Amino acid sequence: MNKFLSNKYAFLGKEQKANTALTNKMRGALKNSTWQFLIFGALICVIGYLAVNKVIPYSLQSGIATTLAYSIAAIGFCLLMGYSGLASLGTGGFIGIGTYSVYYIMNESNMSFAIAIIVALLVSVVIGIIVGFISLRIEGIYLCILTLGLSEILRNLYMALEDTIKISNFEIFGMLVKRQSSIYIVAVVLVVIMIITQNLINSPTGRAMLAMKNSTAAAQAMGISLIKYRLLAFVICTAYAAISGVMLMVCMRAATASDGTGFYALITSLNILAAVIIGGYKSIWGAVFGTYIMYGLQTTLLNRIEVLQENPVIITFVSGVLVILVVMFYPGGIAQLIWELKGKLKKLFTKLKEVRYGKDLG
Amino acid sequence: MAYFLNTIMGSIAPMCVTALVTLAITLIFKTSYTTNFAQGVISAFGAYMVAYFLNQKGLPIWASLPIGMIVSMVIATLIDVLIFRRGRYVNALGKQIITMGLISIIVGAIPLIFGIAVPQFTAFIDGTLSAEIFDGSVTVTKNALVCGGITIVVIVAIFVALRFSKWGLSVRATASNEYVAGMMGINTHIVTAVSWGLAGALGALAAAINASSGNTVGIYFMTNYQVYAFLAGILGGFSSFYGPVVVALMIPLANNLVQYFVNIAGAPEMTKWSMVIVYAVALVIIFFKPQGIFGKRIAKKV
Amino acid sequence: MAKIWDKIKHSAESFKGKVISLPETIKTSADKMVVRFNHKQLMNLRRNLEFVNVELGGLDAKYDKKAEAKANAFVRSANKKLAKPAFDACDKEEYINALLADKMQRYDKRAYMSHRAVNQSTARALFKATAKGEDTLEILAKHLEKMNSLSAKRSAFEEKLSAEKEKFLLNNSTADDTAYVTLNATLEKQYEESCTAVATKLAEAKDKKRAKLTAKAEKLTAKIASFKTEEKDRQGVADDVVLSVKNLKMYFGGLKAVDDLTFDVKKGEVFGLIGPNGAGKTTVFNCITRFYNATGGDMLFENKHGEVVDMRDFKVHDVILQGISRTFQNIELVKEISVLENLLVACTRSYRTGILAHAVGLPLLKKEDRIFKQKAMGILKFMGIENYAGWLAMGLPYGILKKVEIARALMADPKLIIMDEPAAGLNDAETKELTETIRRIRDTFGVTILLVEHDMGLVMNVCDTVCAISFGQMLAIGTTEEIQKNKAVQEAYLGVADDEDSATEEENEQAPVAPETEETDKGGN
Repeated sequence: MNKFLSNKYAFLGKEQKANTALTNKMRGALKNSTWQFLIFGALICVIGYLAVNKVIPYSLQSGIATTLAYSIAAIGFCLLMGYSGLASLGTGGFIGIGTYSVYYIMNESNMSFAIAIIVALLVSVVIGIIVGFISLRIEGIYLCILTLGLSEILRNLYMALEDTIKISNFEIFGMLVKRQSSIYIVAVVLVVIMIITQNLINSPTGRAMLAMKNSTAAAQAMGISLIKYRLLAFVICTAYAAISGVMLMVCMRAATASDGTGFYALITSLNILAAVIIGGYKSIWGAVFGTYIMYGLQTTLLNRIEVLQENPVIITFVSGVLVILVVMFYPGGIAQLIWELKGKLKKLFTKLKEVRYGKDLG
Repeated sequence: MAYFLNTIMGSIAPMCVTALVTLAITLIFKTSYTTNFAQGVISAFGAYMVAYFLNQKGLPIWASLPIGMIVSMVIATLIDVLIFRRGRYVNALGKQIITMGLISIIVGAIPLIFGIAVPQFTAFIDGTLSAEIFDGSVTVTKNALVCGGITIVVIVAIFVALRFSKWGLSVRATASNEYVAGMMGINTHIVTAVSWGLAGALGALAAAINASSGNTVGIYFMTNYQVYAFLAGILGGFSSFYGPVVVALMIPLANNLVQYFVNIAGAPEMTKWSMVIVYAVALVIIFFKPQGIFGKRIAKKV
Repeated sequence: MAKIWDKIKHSAESFKGKVISLPETIKTSADKMVVRFNHKQLMNLRRNLEFVNVELGGLDAKYDKKAEAKANAFVRSANKKLAKPAFDACDKEEYINALLADKMQRYDKRAYMSHRAVNQSTARALFKATAKGEDTLEILAKHLEKMNSLSAKRSAFEEKLSAEKEKFLLNNSTADDTAYVTLNATLEKQYEESCTAVATKLAEAKDKKRAKLTAKAEKLTAKIASFKTEEKDRQGVADDVVLSVKNLKMYFGGLKAVDDLTFDVKKGEVFGLIGPNGAGKTTVFNCITRFYNATGGDMLFENKHGEVVDMRDFKVHDVILQGISRTFQNIELVKEISVLENLLVACTRSYRTGILAHAVGLPLLKKEDRIFKQKAMGILKFMGIENYAGWLAMGLPYGILKKVEIARALMADPKLIIMDEPAAGLNDAETKELTETIRRIRDTFGVTILLVEHDMGLVMNVCDTVCAISFGQMLAIGTTEEIQKNKAVQEAYLGVADDEDSATEEENEQAPVAPETEETDKGGN
């Protein structure tokens, strides 16, 4: 008859659960991707702080900073490939937009860092629109090669402009940014980029891009304009690459265009592509992790092993083997690997239980 | 006029290299359905091989070149048999990434096998030919002429084989549709393996030609030509074999000619922009003719 | 020479004419720009109005949800308040017995596993021993010993519990339920009061919101009305006709896929388009939805807003805004996202927020998301698949996916739905259900349906008018009976008259292929 506590003993065992409300809230926050990104950024800042204070070696910090800078480009590529179904090999050239705008705005014209970023964004938007228009006519591998050609044009342009560029320490909001403390800026920018990307993915824009990837005909029938979203995808990809270039310049302070393994070379575009494939081309975390494998693993971890220190080529060799293995056996990348591992762990636990208690025959 | 002729003579070696690399990439593209990003380093590996026999074993270049070509042919075939065939059902992007992994493997393997030292390379034949024509002397190295001769012989042989031999027919069938070709009784495994082998040999030859005209070898020294080859592929249209090769012959020539005209126009400091101009023209052509200069339009189904 | 001179003169003159007309061209292009700007503004207003209407439609559900949430919150807080008095009120012995029984049950659950382990190990040992022919008595003794130890453990636990019980009873003995009863009664009264209060408050808020929204809607309609300066004529389309196709021609090079086809689709009917493979049915659809640019002819359509427009004026992705949505022959859903999100794809154009708002994640976007999700849930419920809302579209069965596609087409508030072979790949029961669904859609939403189908059973059951075409030309148009009796149709489509069934079955096997001019030349050297 009572609406409340109709069973007098309904509250049995409830007193234990009452205390978990707070932990539940924390768990909810951990599942919210925005909070995850913020926590990630805080962790990076802690690492940077430790490195600046020489608790951990400096090479570790610089390796991580490079990884983070490149992973901005990788996230843009993730959006382009995983969500819009387009591919480009122009990342190297697009990164140069960022580095050269930093050089020309900050070093040559003595203007502020913010203006450098804005200029980089503007230029990259223009380039992105051009590539987007091209992508309406040409698709697939042809588009890949075409963007590769565009990247080569840009690289030749850079070589013709100024082969080696360097910047010195600069100020942001009145604070001097040294090379050691650049990791903070990179971390902040990366977290902002991650949050923006996550928002876009979960918004109608992200859904429209996915629809476009699955079937252009169906997407158009649903009112999705190919021009708009292809241009958007390329603009985002190029803009992220340019920001990545700005951040690389902030971390490294120098770049050489004619370097065969430098920022703008074909190998950079390929490495970013590989990073996204290895990480799982639809996940932001995957992109960051894939970039770590391609760029950070060597400087932060493998260089500490003595055998590898003497023969660094072994790392290149092994990473090649790793890439091939991942692509052949886990086409969904490391995201898929982790997902499968979870299932396998569950199976292992049930098996352990079986060993301990016997098989459930019923 | 003599300067013009000299410019053309100077482009012979790059033209040969680009044409050979392009043919190799086209062969792999048509039978394995992927762009082989590793072609540059595979070629470089071939050049290292030739240099090894040349320097360490003391063989003459005429002996070490075929040996190097055969070794890299075997290695390229092994790449197909051991790696690519198993990844046959990986999607198109995945295949490209596999070729990328190959880059890392080969770049790592070259110093492990041949050591860190940069090997020296010799020309096939020393000396130059020069003639007095019009207003000056036209000079050409004998090496370039030899390279041109080898290249013409090899390319013509391959085209004849593609057109008239049974192997050529099966390659063309595989290129048009691998699945149907398999059903018609063509062993597509052998076709792709042979194509890879040929690509490896052609790459080694190209790298050797490149090295002989510059006398040195490097790991990344073929990357530029690889990019030219990709560009030639889509500019000529991957739908045929001859299109890419024809365009490949034109790209280095165009580059040098642009430099020539820029010099004639009296702006020698502008020569560094020549490649940018060539690329830009190429991209404009592709934009207006996406199927390539020699390609045919394929209607789209809805 | 004279000819060339003439040519030059002629071109010079034409150039002169152009130069003189330059201000005029600028003016006309400026006019065009104004028209385009006005059109865009009108479209924006219409989108806003549509959104307001959707919001109005979902108002009841929203406030019901709010009321429910408030009631639930009250119950939760009341339960918290009542916990202490309820504990006081209960018979302590009963309470402790229940508590301990619960504990005992949990213990037994754990003990079951160890029992099973013992049984298993004994069974294994026995099996081994019998296989080797050894003595089994020892094993049995061991087993008994283990079992005894287990039961000893259990009795020890029981003893512990009974001690606990005694202790508990010593401390709390009295049972006083006056506080509980009074509190309960007051709480119940409070609950009812608060419920009514909340209801009135919410009703007020609802009315306010509704008034606000209707005012907004009226304002928008007034604004939209101000754009319509003159009534557009219907361009010869009858009042009860929604789509009028006149002399439609679609040539692929020399191939005449559709040649001079004319038909009218009346409002609120199910119109079937039939014909043998390669007759050009799908081509007609693709022309109407602008995937193909028709070679000639008119396609006049009375759009959502009551204007008659020529479909040739619109781009592919603007067709849906006019009120034509379509389903596909092969399912074209987005596999990686859920069914609900798939439905949301269809209202991408109805979102008022732009890309920047999406990137920042504005609260307005969340509101829009909520409202459209509500609408989508309503449509899923209508289709009877609301349980699949959260499922990924990847692994769902074909029949469900077909329904999702129809739901997605409904999501855009269309006036005309074009279905390309809706029954392809469905079994008999599903086809029957589809027939029902098509009728229900027409009756509930007042939509006109145009379909291409090979399943003659479905066509004859559901269609009001059937149009038979062959090689791009009209054979016959009329009611299903007329079509069935028509000699030309029988000859062209059904083959020999008494072999009707087998012929249709054969047709079922193959999907119609749109005529295409595909030239593949890959191996050429």
